[in-house]
Amino acid sequence: MPIEFKKNRLVFRDAVQVEEAEALLEALQKKPTTQVDLAACTHLHTANLQVLMAARPCIDKWPQDPELRRWLEDVLIPES
Amino acid sequence: MNHLPNNPLLEQFLSESRELLEGIGQKLMQLEDSPNDRLTIDDLFRSVHTLKGNSGLFTFPEMTRVLHAGEDLLGKVRNGEMTFSRELADRLLDAMDFVGLLGNEIESKGCIDAGRAADSARLAESLRALIADFPDSAKPGPAGSTNAATKSTAVPLTGIPPLSKVPEALRMEAFRRCGEGEKLHWIVYRPDPECFYQGDDPFHRARETPGLLWGRVLPSEPFPPLVELDTYRCSLRFHLLTAAFREELVEYFRFVPDQIEMVAVDPLWLAISEREPGNRAGIEDDFVSGSRVSESNRSPVSIEEACALTWILTAQQQILALDDHPAWFSGRLKAVAAVLRNLAGSKGNAEAEGQIEASLAAALTSASGLPLLEWLNAHRSQFTSSLVAESAANGSRAKAEEEPAASDPSKPTADDGVKFGRRAEDKQTGQRSLKVDQAKIDRLMNLIGELVVEKNALPYLAQRAEAQYGVRELSREIKGQYSVINRIADEMQDAIMQVRMMAVSTIFQRFPRLVRDISRKLGKEVQLVLEGEQTEADKNIIEALADPLIHIVRNSLDHGLETPEGRRAGAKAETGTLTIRAAQQADRVVIEIVDDGKGIDPAVIKRKAYEKGLIDEAALERMDDGSALNLIFAAGLSTAAVVSDLSGRGVGMDVVRTAVEKLNGSVIVESELGKGTSIRISLPLSMAVTQVMVIESDGQLFGVPMDHVLETVRVPRNSIHRIKQSMTAVLRGRVVPLKALNGLLGIVAQPTANADDELSVLLVQAGGGVVGLLVDGFRGTLGVIQKPMAGFLSSLSTWSGSALMGDGSVLMIMNIREIV
Repeated sequence: MPIEFKKNRLVFRDAVQVEEAEALLEALQKKPTTQVDLAACTHLHTANLQVLMAARPCIDKWPQDPELRRWLEDVLIPES
Repeated sequence: MNHLPNNPLLEQFLSESRELLEGIGQKLMQLEDSPNDRLTIDDLFRSVHTLKGNSGLFTFPEMTRVLHAGEDLLGKVRNGEMTFSRELADRLLDAMDFVGLLGNEIESKGCIDAGRAADSARLAESLRALIADFPDSAKPGPAGSTNAATKSTAVPLTGIPPLSKVPEALRMEAFRRCGEGEKLHWIVYRPDPECFYQGDDPFHRARETPGLLWGRVLPSEPFPPLVELDTYRCSLRFHLLTAAFREELVEYFRFVPDQIEMVAVDPLWLAISEREPGNRAGIEDDFVSGSRVSESNRSPVSIEEACALTWILTAQQQILALDDHPAWFSGRLKAVAAVLRNLAGSKGNAEAEGQIEASLAAALTSASGLPLLEWLNAHRSQFTSSLVAESAANGSRAKAEEEPAASDPSKPTADDGVKFGRRAEDKQTGQRSLKVDQAKIDRLMNLIGELVVEKNALPYLAQRAEAQYGVRELSREIKGQYSVINRIADEMQDAIMQVRMMAVSTIFQRFPRLVRDISRKLGKEVQLVLEGEQTEADKNIIEALADPLIHIVRNSLDHGLETPEGRRAGAKAETGTLTIRAAQQADRVVIEIVDDGKGIDPAVIKRKAYEKGLIDEAALERMDDGSALNLIFAAGLSTAAVVSDLSGRGVGMDVVRTAVEKLNGSVIVESELGKGTSIRISLPLSMAVTQVMVIESDGQLFGVPMDHVLETVRVPRNSIHRIKQSMTAVLRGRVVPLKALNGLLGIVAQPTANADDELSVLLVQAGGGVVGLLVDGFRGTLGVIQKPMAGFLSSLSTWSGSALMGDGSVLMIMNIREIV
């Protein structure tokens, strides 16, 4: 499973495919306070990205991949 | 990606797409007649959708793009947002023809010609234009929104892209690269909202953009509340800054050319952010931030500072070049001088500071920026020369840092996670039919042919067992076995013939399109009626029939049917009717092409034929109307006054006759002036087994195809009359010329008569008339598998082929038309 749905935490691993988007949205809808761990994530499908952008969950860990991290930080860090 | 021609998936795709395209063409034409047929529209949409989906499995963006546009268009029709029109059908048919063309190209070359991309984009554009043109669909739908031309909210990339969003450090870097002569491109990528269904991942595509320096994701519209969010609709767009070549980018984005807007980045944009140069407020902002940069980075000199220097200097030049004289003009000059002084100071250039002071004083007294500008222009190179040296050193470092990032192996490649987004409705249903190479069937056919011949040897064996060795028991057993084998072999032959049978609908189905296209070109209203499409015949026959039929249909449309005005004048319905009818009659298939047009005037035909020298005066006089009509099949005859691109060259009907005769068929024309014309083609159901009449002449056996045999009679020698060299006899009230087969074949023996002094006469149909052949005897009819003459023998037109008899001897089959 590229996304592990834990109790209060979503752990993304490797490349997360489009199929996950529905479940991801559901999880974030149910529990908006869920933390997202992207550390092991190398890529996420646009559909997932867009769910994250819309839901704006708390990102607990940013991807280790610096390039992906830059892309995500750009849109997922709330503008102060 | 290059596809090998032997990729089975690709082969299947190609053959499937051909079928789908045919179906699509048919349905499009059905819809023209009944534009509101929901079922057909749904069907059509599904076909186009399936085809598009399938094409997406391969790297044929040219094909997919056109199909996608077609699908969008049909989607609109299906949802009732657009009405089906002839124009729409025209465009869609064009598009499908194009797709068919691409398919053929893929099949023959394994790839699509590079030049097709433009055609494909143009076609897709024209299809989308239809959507846009349609008044009811003015609101940009999901399909239209991807198209910059039709989307009103799209920001055309005419202004300067929002480069200010690029982090400053990166912008500097980019600027430096520009300075080194690299071309940067700014790309706005608006993925199609439906792209997820095509297995597309725009984020992945954006990340993998060649030469990517910077990029960001933007929602194309504010996100709706989470409950309303559609996860499978892409609502993001991307801004990308890349250092790749334009060609490389075009190639990279060739799947989505309509979703991309690209501009070459002007280095100035990087320097003075997104605002217009000359805008005072903008420059003042830049000025302030410029001084901040230069102060904070006093030493050591960094690449950022070098870029900032260039940037500041450009701004100062622009300020000085302004020719307005506001109240704060002197203040502006002082500010510029202060900036220059600071810059010079930061470089420790005391001498320059003095020069700037002097220039400032001169500028203030003359109330013009010129002295300062002159100094700046003269000394700018000092600043920039140091800059180039530094950036060269820094450049190599920057590049070294970049490389590992570009080849980061942890990035997913396109292959490891591609999902094609196929849905349940695309699921392949279990295949009920097999596609078999025709060569395999032909081989079966040959084998069963041999078996039939070999089987026929058994009765001979039985005969020999009895006559020669006197074992009746064995003979009876052999006969018993023979009858079993005979039955099985017959059934098997029949089964194999069935496999080769094809319904005439396979050639009929191209006629709706043909008739539609031609009649529209000619401005005629024609209704096509197809009957008996289920009639089956051998594949070879069906295939060979296609061309002659097209000629006939064309002729009927061009010469037979009149224009609506002409029909009105003749008190007929405006819409002409063209009927193509197929039916099986005994062991022949008969195809009739009937039009209710103006008919053929035999007098005109006769005169034309005479003018062209096809018939002589005597023939002109005595020819009856029926024979005259059949003159249309003569080569070189055309009644059309002008040669058009459709017909009039006088070859068409000749081609028809030749083709039909090659298939052992016959063609007859009947026509009634003013009422219409009917052309009847009669063909054998199968070419595999030919029925022949076996005759004997001078002790040899010959075969005559049953198609030509009219009758066998015995004529008493004394009722044969000699007129000069020719023999004739009166048979059933008409005079029939008689010819001795021996004479025709160059055999010296005379025909032998039977005990009652009667001669055997085989009445055959040859050319336009009936001829009696004098033979020695008849041996009954036989179904044989005729083999064409091979090698040198093939030039002997006297014989149409040979066949093996049951006892192993060879039977020569005569070509009656050539012999008499």
